[in-house]
Amino acid sequence: MSRAALLLVLAALGLGSTAHAAGLPGPRREIFTPPSPDAPYHGSLDGLAFGGSGELRFAEDRQAGVSNPDWFSVGWVKGFILARLSSRFDLAMQGSWERVADDYTMERAEIGYRLGRAYQAHAGIFLAPLGRTNLSHDVPSYDFAERSLVATQIVGVPHAQVGVGIRKLPPAEGVARMYWEGDVVTGYDDGVITESPGGTRIPSGRNNYGDKNGIPAVVGRVARRSASGHEIGLAVQSGPYNSTEIDGVHVDRYRWMHVAVVDANAEWAGFRIFTEGAYALIDVPPTLQALYAEQQAGASVEMVRTLFDPLFRGWRGSAVTAGLRADMVDFDRSVQGDSRSRLSASVNLYHRPMAVTRIGWYYEIRRDRFNNSTPLAGVTFTAAAFF
Amino acid sequence: MPHPWSHSEDEVQSVIRNRAGAGRASPNGTGSGWRFAAIVAICALSLHVLGCDKLLTTKPDPGERFDTPLPGLDNGELGAFQRGHTQFRKAFSIAEGLGPIFNNVSCASCHSGDGRGLPENTLTRISRDASDLAIDVGGPQIQDKAIAGAEPERLPSGVLVSYRMPPPVFGVGLIEAITDSSILSHEDPGDADADGISGRANMVTPAPYVPATEPGGGPGPRVGRFGRKASVSSLLQQTVEAYHQDIGMTSSYRPIENVNPVASHPAVDPARDPELTDAEIENVMEYMRMLAPPAPGDPTPARDRGQVLFTSAQCVKCHIPTLHTGPHDIETLANRDVTLYSDLLLHDLGDALADNRPDGGADGKEWRTAPLWGLRVAREFLNGQLFLLHDGRAHTVDQAIRYHGGEATGARDAYLAMPPTDQAALVDFVESR
Repeated sequence: MSRAALLLVLAALGLGSTAHAAGLPGPRREIFTPPSPDAPYHGSLDGLAFGGSGELRFAEDRQAGVSNPDWFSVGWVKGFILARLSSRFDLAMQGSWERVADDYTMERAEIGYRLGRAYQAHAGIFLAPLGRTNLSHDVPSYDFAERSLVATQIVGVPHAQVGVGIRKLPPAEGVARMYWEGDVVTGYDDGVITESPGGTRIPSGRNNYGDKNGIPAVVGRVARRSASGHEIGLAVQSGPYNSTEIDGVHVDRYRWMHVAVVDANAEWAGFRIFTEGAYALIDVPPTLQALYAEQQAGASVEMVRTLFDPLFRGWRGSAVTAGLRADMVDFDRSVQGDSRSRLSASVNLYHRPMAVTRIGWYYEIRRDRFNNSTPLAGVTFTAAAFF
Repeated sequence: MPHPWSHSEDEVQSVIRNRAGAGRASPNGTGSGWRFAAIVAICALSLHVLGCDKLLTTKPDPGERFDTPLPGLDNGELGAFQRGHTQFRKAFSIAEGLGPIFNNVSCASCHSGDGRGLPENTLTRISRDASDLAIDVGGPQIQDKAIAGAEPERLPSGVLVSYRMPPPVFGVGLIEAITDSSILSHEDPGDADADGISGRANMVTPAPYVPATEPGGGPGPRVGRFGRKASVSSLLQQTVEAYHQDIGMTSSYRPIENVNPVASHPAVDPARDPELTDAEIENVMEYMRMLAPPAPGDPTPARDRGQVLFTSAQCVKCHIPTLHTGPHDIETLANRDVTLYSDLLLHDLGDALADNRPDGGADGKEWRTAPLWGLRVAREFLNGQLFLLHDGRAHTVDQAIRYHGGEATGARDAYLAMPPTDQAALVDFVESR
């Protein structure tokens, strides 16, 4: 119970309220301005904007009644530098470390060239437009402590790759329009299989520093946003993922992987609703097909409602929101089991638009390839802010 | 001039407006009192959740699982158990050494919940005779999976074939600790008592890497007790060979990769050999050694009657309820009764079950008496299904009994002669173990 008391004290203290960011659009309402920063700037210095964000996580996680000793951790740390080199050239650098992946990721090292008012060519390392969550994730304005399973287990958010492409920029607020992005990128690599113990795991094939098989992948997203901010998007990435030669010896043919993601964002009956679904087709070598999945799927639906805004009179920018999310992934469509299903709830106190403390609960059922289930659950307290 | 990346004050206000627009409760900031009460309620609810086991998962009853430690282990032993528990579940990637040819990616991938496996986990053993394991064509076990660049093994012609379902791994420490004399005391190779049931130990030579300090190790022959034909005497050997043959993981005991001998080109995995440390092997071995069998079901009048029938039908001639352990480094394994319902001896089970493939000292019709413990919860770890006998052909205890022949013919016929209610009582007793 001591952990519970600590969580409560931390919640009461409102840890994370020290952020002094300039502000950013709220949950799922962020405005894409090139190159789509999901963070406010900390300061400006002669054309530079720089800053970062981070999250502390206190949690009582249990698996089948057994507590995980990892009750205090850093959720993520992210730093970014944005620069406007000229009226047409933009430069963005963004890197992060994440607890879940226990890995550093270069999310952006990207140069953009503005083509007129609505178009931008870009090159470098950037977040693949494979679904809305991958393009904009883990901002402290997000209403849940953890990303959805479909984002983390199928798409592999953050999924950044080396590439080049062009995008039509999102419309300004209040304007209805289609927008899109199309890129040629390095694609996933054969870590999908070779570094993936226990079956196909697409995130194990993330690789954003270079190509490993000489054939690029293509990734694109088309979305329509209404004047009221509702949006629906369709994204697809397709390309070979495997190495065909090892030390000069031809070992396999090119094997393709296709990932499609649909996302939608709307408001209904006072709720902000966001849903994302993904489907993946993986060409697995015949000698591994009984153990490694050829089809994976996942979906999530989340509903968020603002309860108080502001929380108290005079506390400008404060708000309390509550969210509920259901999500599941099926790691292998050909077998019963090998899946995860989760229900998450979160109550979030925004001290300012960009600093939040959350109290959350989740309950998850994991099924192995025998379809044996293991329950996991937890109460989490997180504090996230830009700095 | 505003910074090019900044959001204007108007934009921040827009954010606040947007957020308030969705489900806005009180945009004017009134009602602070009940808001405070709501926050307190949320915190109280969080505390309640923390105190509510159902919302945060509960521990299953240890007696209902296959992966719980034996009672009475000390802290050091429990620590070793937990390390092995993790290692047993570790699925290996190709980068870590999986392959080049293999059957599955982890121990737990074949032994569901540490229990039995499914038919798709069946291993294929081949040989030409007891002394020729057909190594030159992929024996003694066919690895039907391969990493990129390697060729999986295919079943060759002209060999003897036996299909083997993954057995449960709980209770193997108790089996290991059973004294030779406890097992050998039930031998009757010449059927001296003329009851039609013989029973003999499979005396085997341990692998050279098994030291004499290990149970079942040292110069042979030793009493075989592991495997469907009791062809292995040492838990260390069983562990090392499973890693090497089933998963393709090398160790200092078996440092050379298992490759397809008839492949058109050589292929190995990218990991450096040995791919497992001695500690990793020992962790898994110690884990299995300390795994407890599930608790039997509660007695009922029907089960009590089933037990009487089980005895009267002579099933207990081979499925001996209790054997005894001797001295052991792990105190909880030492000098105790082991209620496994097996004599761990080889018996001729007739033509229907014969694989006609000799294995060590066992001939093609002989099988080690299968322990009956754990049957009570076996279905729970196999999607509600049951796969009994060496190749999983029987889906119920009744079917398994009917497949018995050879030395078990008398017991089988006694079962078949029972009225259905007695048969059901006997089956209920067996399924309550």
